[in-house]
Amino acid sequence: MSYAYATQDEKTISGAMALVMHLLFLLLLVFGVSWQHKQSDSAVIVDLWNNLPALPQPKAEPPPPEAKAPPEPPKPVPKAEPKPKPEPKPVIKPDIALKEKLEKERKLKVEQEKLEEKKREQEKARVALKEKRAKEVEAKQLAKEQDDALRKINEMQAAQAAARGKQIDEYRRRISEKVKRFIVLPPNLQGNPEVEFDVVLLPGGEVLGVKLRKSSAVTAYDNAVERAILKAQPLPLPPDPALFNDFRELKLKFRPKE
Amino acid sequence: MIPSLSQNMSVISLITGASVLVQIVLLLLLLASMFSWYYIFLKIFMLKRATRLANEFEKDFWSGGDLNELYQRAVNSRASAGSLERIFEAGFREFSKHKKQSGTDVGVLMDGTRRAMRATYQREMDMLESYLPFLASVGSVSPYVGLFGTVWGIMNAFRGLANVAQATLAHVAPGIAEALIATAMGLFAAIPAVVAYNHFAGDVNRLATRFDSFMEEFSNILQRQVH
Repeated sequence: MSYAYATQDEKTISGAMALVMHLLFLLLLVFGVSWQHKQSDSAVIVDLWNNLPALPQPKAEPPPPEAKAPPEPPKPVPKAEPKPKPEPKPVIKPDIALKEKLEKERKLKVEQEKLEEKKREQEKARVALKEKRAKEVEAKQLAKEQDDALRKINEMQAAQAAARGKQIDEYRRRISEKVKRFIVLPPNLQGNPEVEFDVVLLPGGEVLGVKLRKSSAVTAYDNAVERAILKAQPLPLPPDPALFNDFRELKLKFRPKE
Repeated sequence: MIPSLSQNMSVISLITGASVLVQIVLLLLLLASMFSWYYIFLKIFMLKRATRLANEFEKDFWSGGDLNELYQRAVNSRASAGSLERIFEAGFREFSKHKKQSGTDVGVLMDGTRRAMRATYQREMDMLESYLPFLASVGSVSPYVGLFGTVWGIMNAFRGLANVAQATLAHVAPGIAEALIATAMGLFAAIPAVVAYNHFAGDVNRLATRFDSFMEEFSNILQRQVH
């Protein structure tokens, strides 16, 4: 009726705006605040390599064989040329006798043939050497690649083993924590004696058997811990059944104060 | 029960994981916040219009029009009239009624007029101040309600800690986090309410002063007419 009271329109608008305000607030809460706990892979095991033997090298090596190969051919060429030079010398000397000349010519021919043979041999050797080197380089690269792959696999295995180890440690800790909660300490316990138990577990976390391995010298405390172990079942086990083997036979140590 | 270390803490899971009492507190605070925002927006509209109408009427009044004509207009548009117009209308009606009965004392005449205006003024103020007490109480009470939820939640968190031999932060942290949500909610409801309350109270106060001074000035004008 009166102006001072809000109209229906205003009421709807106000209601809608209030709703929008709260939706905004909710969105801000859910998406704006990253509620920490990225946590993910907490600890990462890192191998420190003081002088990486191969990782930087494989990149630097491939070019050298190519760079080395071109300068090589010129070497044998100058070597091969100086040898034919002796040829002209005998040609100037003859003129003493035809026989001698003929003989010399023959000798020369033979010599030339020999020289040529030598040349060929040298060439062959050179080619062989080249091939050998190329093969060596290839073999080296191959070996390096294999090495790399091996190392990568090793690293991966190490990481997996580390993760497994971490999980095992985590669940070991949980198990002893859970047991500790059930320990009812005997009165007037003196000192901080350590007791050790051998526990045999079933895959569900049930305790199959408990055996005192090392007494704490306080029987009451030993009994309390044994009772606690039995009471604490099922003990927490990792969800991965593959890890159970590490939990089948557990050695648990307890101290009254820790 | 060990709250797992890798537990993901989203707001939703915190709320759904909270104890029933904390959830009730949260719901209460959410309702309070909803209503306070609703009233905040409503009040913004209402006060804006009240100020606008007061401005318009003052302009009309001081532009030197005929008082009888102004009165007629006010009577005709009673439904959409502003506070100032109503006060004027009430005062003028009383004044003209008295004036018709000749021979009344000027003092008595003016007193009656003032009383009529005062009554309308009170009614108008009541309308302008509506919902403000709600905002005030949301502003002052909801932090305490939120705190109550938090204290309750933390109590639970620590009680759960009692039968754990080795107390770690991980045991209490989720409980405390979910408990603190209640305080956050309480503050979320309270802060806008308090700010809005102060703002609106100031606005209403200023309007009241304007009405008051208008009443005085109008009385003077009427008294001059008698002579």
